[in-house]
Amino acid sequence: MGDVSFLERLHNLQDTYGYIPEKEIVSLAEEYDVPKAKIFGVISFYSMLYTEPTGKFIVRVCDSLSCYLNESDDLVRAVKDYLGIGHGETTEDKRFTLEVVECLGYCGEGPVMMINDKVYTYVSEKKALNILSNCL
Amino acid sequence: MVKINIDGQELELEAGTTILEAANEVQVNIPTLCYLEDLSVYGGCRLCVVEIIGEEMLRPACTTEIEDDMQIKTHSKKVREVRRNIFELIISSHDIDCKLNCLTCARSTNCELRDVGEQIDMQEMRLDAIERNYVDDSSSHSIVRKPNKCIACTRCIRKCEEVQGVGIFTKANRGPETVITTFKDRGMGNVDCTNCGQCIQACPTGALHESYHYNSVWHFLNDSSKFVVVQTAPAVRVALSEGFGEQPGTVATGQMVAALRRLGFDRVFDTNFTADLTIMEEGHELIDRIQNDGQLPMFTSCSPGWIKFIEHFYPEYLDNLSTCKSPQQMLGAVTKSYYAEQQGIPPEDIVVVSVMPCTAKKFESVRPEMDKDVDFVLTTRELIRMIKEFSLDMMNLAEEPYDKLMGTSSGAADIFGASGGVMEAALRTAYEVITEEELENLDFTAVRGTNGIKEAEVEIGDLTLKAAVVSGLGNAKELMERIEAGAEYHFVEIMACPGGCAGGGGQPIPTNQEIVEQRLNSLYEIDKHKSLRKSHQNPEIKQIYAEYLGEPGSEKAHELLHTSYVVRNI
Repeated sequence: MGDVSFLERLHNLQDTYGYIPEKEIVSLAEEYDVPKAKIFGVISFYSMLYTEPTGKFIVRVCDSLSCYLNESDDLVRAVKDYLGIGHGETTEDKRFTLEVVECLGYCGEGPVMMINDKVYTYVSEKKALNILSNCL
Repeated sequence: MVKINIDGQELELEAGTTILEAANEVQVNIPTLCYLEDLSVYGGCRLCVVEIIGEEMLRPACTTEIEDDMQIKTHSKKVREVRRNIFELIISSHDIDCKLNCLTCARSTNCELRDVGEQIDMQEMRLDAIERNYVDDSSSHSIVRKPNKCIACTRCIRKCEEVQGVGIFTKANRGPETVITTFKDRGMGNVDCTNCGQCIQACPTGALHESYHYNSVWHFLNDSSKFVVVQTAPAVRVALSEGFGEQPGTVATGQMVAALRRLGFDRVFDTNFTADLTIMEEGHELIDRIQNDGQLPMFTSCSPGWIKFIEHFYPEYLDNLSTCKSPQQMLGAVTKSYYAEQQGIPPEDIVVVSVMPCTAKKFESVRPEMDKDVDFVLTTRELIRMIKEFSLDMMNLAEEPYDKLMGTSSGAADIFGASGGVMEAALRTAYEVITEEELENLDFTAVRGTNGIKEAEVEIGDLTLKAAVVSGLGNAKELMERIEAGAEYHFVEIMACPGGCAGGGGQPIPTNQEIVEQRLNSLYEIDKHKSLRKSHQNPEIKQIYAEYLGEPGSEKAHELLHTSYVVRNI
């Protein structure tokens, strides 16, 4: 893999599989001669790396301060009700994984929601449900 | 050389010295929690901060190297206040809310948090304890982990990875959610843990302790329908006394035997006896492998931490392991067969308990290959608890001998508790068996001491026996790499713990190199003063072969005293 950094390797695996499978962790551990527990530790440090399969759509809703002032708590509640799952959970049909997160970097345009790589701003409850119902 | 002033004392020290080391030179022991000798320096706990004149920020003494003309205050008013604040923060994440936790804690008598509290004169606790409500990890047969007592100092991580070369622990998550855990939170029983218990020796708190068997042992001691037999490992006799305030290395064999009888054990046997038996079987196996082109080198199989290590990491070498059970398992096996028959006691009424310097022995005793030879395994620390619970003034008990039939042992057996001891014991016997001549110098000093890897060549008749002796699994890893690169040996002794069983994961806390060396010296002293110093001359060994086993390596011996191994995944 040439000069690709260890973290880039993890990102590539995340992009390939949607998560980082154990067999890949084991082969990284052998290649870098580090315990696989240590690699697990690194993965768990980063919010956007997973060791278990997630839903097809990862829904991240911000609940930090400036979104909260724009009533993100109502948005969080509406999304939870619509999906029927809580933070860190995945729907039974494996379509959605929900994460309530700290700051997505759009503090002036809250409430903010992110689905996979796409960020949505000024998200009202109605807008959120509309976006989610189009996630097929 | 670098000139500094530390607490008013002028000093000249080598470049590269840390402030922590420099302070030791002027008899100042700066308080630490995450620092541990022999491990890499982490600098995480911040308890060792010191003031450097001319600098605004305090700096950790453990990671900061001295510089020319540095003026250091290790205990200025500012430093002492900051240290107290830091300590308050550390213990707010420790399970310290007053539910009498300290009284019931595994480390009630030797908690480092208490030491630090005393050292910095902790006067108040202004923070509420953070209740993290982690679930205890009881997945292992050997070790229990209590994350609520963990202060995330990472000493267990570093010990496991750096000294033992295994690395089952990691820090997971981020910020206040940081927790020490195993791969995917699977628990110590479900990962490549060798059960060596060195993490317990590294832990400053009660977050790690052995899986307790002593309550079950009390239960059977109170059951009059059971015949409860106990055996004691070589390394226990030179460490048990530390639990009763004695200097490390104080020998308490006879007092320990007396205490065990007082606790109610029906027979007190010596694992030393089966250490001698192991030499007979393993020596026979080695000679057989050398003479009949068997798999070489032969690895010893006494250390269950090493066994699990090779099963996980070098399974292609399992045929190189001696098939001999460990002395612990051999004693259980012969108690429930030979002794039971001799005494007319139904084996199902016998409960075999062992006292070991080891946590991995707990796992070994439940291996399916072992057929329940041993029912319960106590660590040295657990036996200390039991004797204390019986309020025995152990060191003043009149010394008593072990029970007959399986209580006599050679000095060769005593040194099983030291790295190199099994090798030395085997050489004493192999030499005389192969050459049929008397060995004049019994001391093979080349294989003694706490060096991680020791090598020796020994002339036995026409054969130059190439031997290696290893202690600490990190060193085992290095030796395996040497073997893979072509190094050739006939016989390799490997013990999982640094220094051998004397430094075992079940030994009294603290266990460090200095203390281990004192215990080792005592084992060699015991050996030196015994008239019986060779396993094959032990009369009870001769008797068990004559009356029961036949010859070393016989069918009966194989059925009772040998075992097999399994390939495990990483």
